Amino acid sequence: MVQYLLNGFGHLIQTGSILALFIGVFLGIIIGALPGLTATMGIALLIPFTYGMDPSYALSLMVGIFAGGIYGGSISAILLKTPGTPAAGATVLDGYPLAQKGQAGKAVAVSTIASALGGLIGALILTFLAPQIAKIAVLFGPPEYVLLGIYGLSMISYVAGKSMAKGIFMGLLGILISTIGIDPISGFPRFTFGQLNLLNGLSLLPVLIGLFAAAQAFEGIEKYNEPQAQQAKINRIGISGKEFLRILPHIIKSAFIGTFVGAVPGTGTDIAAFLSYGEAKRSSKNGAEFGTGVIEGVAAPESGNNACVNGAMIPMFTLGIPGEAATAVMLGGLMLLGLQPGPLLFKDNPQVIYTVFASTITSNLLILVLGLLGARFFAKVLQLPTKLITTMIFVLAIIGSYAMRNNAFDVGVTIIAGFLGYILTKADYPVPPLLLGLILGPLVESNLGRTVIISEGNYFIFFTRPLCWLFWVLILYTVISNITKSKRASRQLDQTKR
Amino acid sequence: MRKCIAGIIVLMSMIFTLGAFAQGKFPTKPIKIIVPWNAGGGTDAVARALARSGEKYLGVPVVVENKPGGSGAVGLAEVVQAAPDGYTLAILPVELGFMDKTGVYPFGFKDFTPIMNLNTDPAALTVKSGKFKSVADFVAYAKANPGKLKVGHSGTGLLWHLAAAVFAKEAGISLTYVPFDGAAPAIAALIGNQIDAVTVSGAEVQAQVKAGELTMLACMGDKRLANFPEIPTLMELGYNVNVSTFRGIGGPKGLPADRVKILHDAFKKMMEEPDFVQTLAKMGLGIDYRSTADYKKLADDTAATLAPILTELGLLRNK
Repeated sequence: MVQYLLNGFGHLIQTGSILALFIGVFLGIIIGALPGLTATMGIALLIPFTYGMDPSYALSLMVGIFAGGIYGGSISAILLKTPGTPAAGATVLDGYPLAQKGQAGKAVAVSTIASALGGLIGALILTFLAPQIAKIAVLFGPPEYVLLGIYGLSMISYVAGKSMAKGIFMGLLGILISTIGIDPISGFPRFTFGQLNLLNGLSLLPVLIGLFAAAQAFEGIEKYNEPQAQQAKINRIGISGKEFLRILPHIIKSAFIGTFVGAVPGTGTDIAAFLSYGEAKRSSKNGAEFGTGVIEGVAAPESGNNACVNGAMIPMFTLGIPGEAATAVMLGGLMLLGLQPGPLLFKDNPQVIYTVFASTITSNLLILVLGLLGARFFAKVLQLPTKLITTMIFVLAIIGSYAMRNNAFDVGVTIIAGFLGYILTKADYPVPPLLLGLILGPLVESNLGRTVIISEGNYFIFFTRPLCWLFWVLILYTVISNITKSKRASRQLDQTKR
Repeated sequence: MRKCIAGIIVLMSMIFTLGAFAQGKFPTKPIKIIVPWNAGGGTDAVARALARSGEKYLGVPVVVENKPGGSGAVGLAEVVQAAPDGYTLAILPVELGFMDKTGVYPFGFKDFTPIMNLNTDPAALTVKSGKFKSVADFVAYAKANPGKLKVGHSGTGLLWHLAAAVFAKEAGISLTYVPFDGAAPAIAALIGNQIDAVTVSGAEVQAQVKAGELTMLACMGDKRLANFPEIPTLMELGYNVNVSTFRGIGGPKGLPADRVKILHDAFKKMMEEPDFVQTLAKMGLGIDYRSTADYKKLADDTAATLAPILTELGLLRNK
């Protein structure tokens, strides 16, 4: 296997595919950073150009765009509070406040290092353990998806902020909004008011861009004519060794979460990022400071989503089943190249597979180099006058939401979500629980329906499967550890009062 | 001299344009094909492969535009509302034949002008290898254990769901249907033994069947699949089941017949281009040219077959 992999690296360099990979990562970062152009769309746009191309070239380009795109989304999330892709939604939470503290360069550097390292861990798991992981992934049935979703929702208790009641309210609001569209089990449209654009529910990206970017732009209008405050300074790019050690455990843990979330079909980079963020907040010593701009809060989701890129390729290559949207498009691209992904690909075309694996590993090194070189330039954006930035954010929000599907309806969604986000922030209602509800609601709902069908109405199915127990333990641990933590915190508060 | 040549060119082009107007020449500007799904999917691949040779046969560029959303309804609605001049067309999904009756689409085939069929893909009854040897095996087990067999499909009220129900009705068995969010997760669930069978297309299970992980018991078309010549059709086995998805091309209602003919003749030639043939073969999609009349008949027949099934499954919402 190592021999094959070395051959793969050799092939990557000999055929010049590494150049294609470089171009892919570079384009990917730009596509990802531009709101509305997602990694998935980047790959789809690329496919017509790959006809008749050498498969190693074409695949290197696709891998590059996928990895670069998921990383690139974090740049606009950090600097402009505008997630370039849904995967970067969680990165906004700490990345933007960190940049506003004058540490934009550091924030981008942390995101770069975490993306590259997380992606690298994911790529190594993909390379060495893909068939084994795929075997576990297919054991993941509807009941396990339900509990995975509930585990994710239990993280609301960590991202709720000051008031648990407000947090739960927002989580429920998110779930409620996620029920718009065709019922996943009965097939009947709900809450669509005859509006065709609502049949499949609200698209996540326009909502994310609205809640973050448009809301930020509205807030910016308040200060539009105030005299320019202290310019955001670009501090040193890069991080100290001590800071690296602080984020390293979160990067590694998130990489495993991300790879696994990617490997099970039906869950993608956005879920990976939010689960990683929640878990980092739960386990971190300074969890209470999350949301104010801590480096762990940037590192965890970025590691998680880039690991997920590689995880998502596991079922695509080993089973011929895409893990999420981007790999579904990649799968089509592979077939047009005359390759049939699936168990036989390993036997028939090991050369191609191992060249791809070599590409995934190398793509992360390219992210590291390009990201760190670019951080200084990216961060310069914040030296522009605040007026200009506010305007720019608003324009990007509108264009981005339109560009995603060439659909003016999505622009309306963004503006409404922007107003909502603005009001909610003013009233001190936390946005992250809303996002968790919105992203995980459909996962839980559709799989609960499936579970009940499969078990013939028997709810004990949640207790008879070993993988389910694993999730029960995780859920209980998350909830209980939060209760003890908050008790300890209130006790300390009492003591200081005395 | 130069002025003279320029003058002649202008004059000639005017004559040609006038002549074109006189004859009602069509087409004179780019033709748009709306794909009501995301870029990168199967329908998108079919449309793009077709459009590539558009200029060669129609003299104008054929542009593919993705307009996803609402299970295809958003893009299709745009075509319904477009002027019936032949410049706005769409790849029409099989679901147009019945999703108006299930209350999802606010329009049906009757709101479009069919031009021709491009591709059909039959459903295939596929199980985990080693579990059932034949359709007879499957049916016998289902008869002994009514409702115990769980069949996964790509979404309630979509074609693969109805395919399973058509087969169950014809075989006189009772199955439990499990809707998934697309074919891929349903196949994953089958590999993981979460369900007992799937009724998605042969192309979608191809990789797993070739690898021996899954076994295709029968395909549900009127002829065997090119990639699996050894697998029988349900018709051969004595079940009157013929359910295939088909992708055709059409425009808004009221498209003039002469324009339909021009488009049909050009598209027919475009379908014979080696590039189109190869692209569909690579995607595992079956090429199936049908003339305007045959395409209309296929749509009507399918709608007639599925109507009683919709009632039986309790999916009928709009009469």
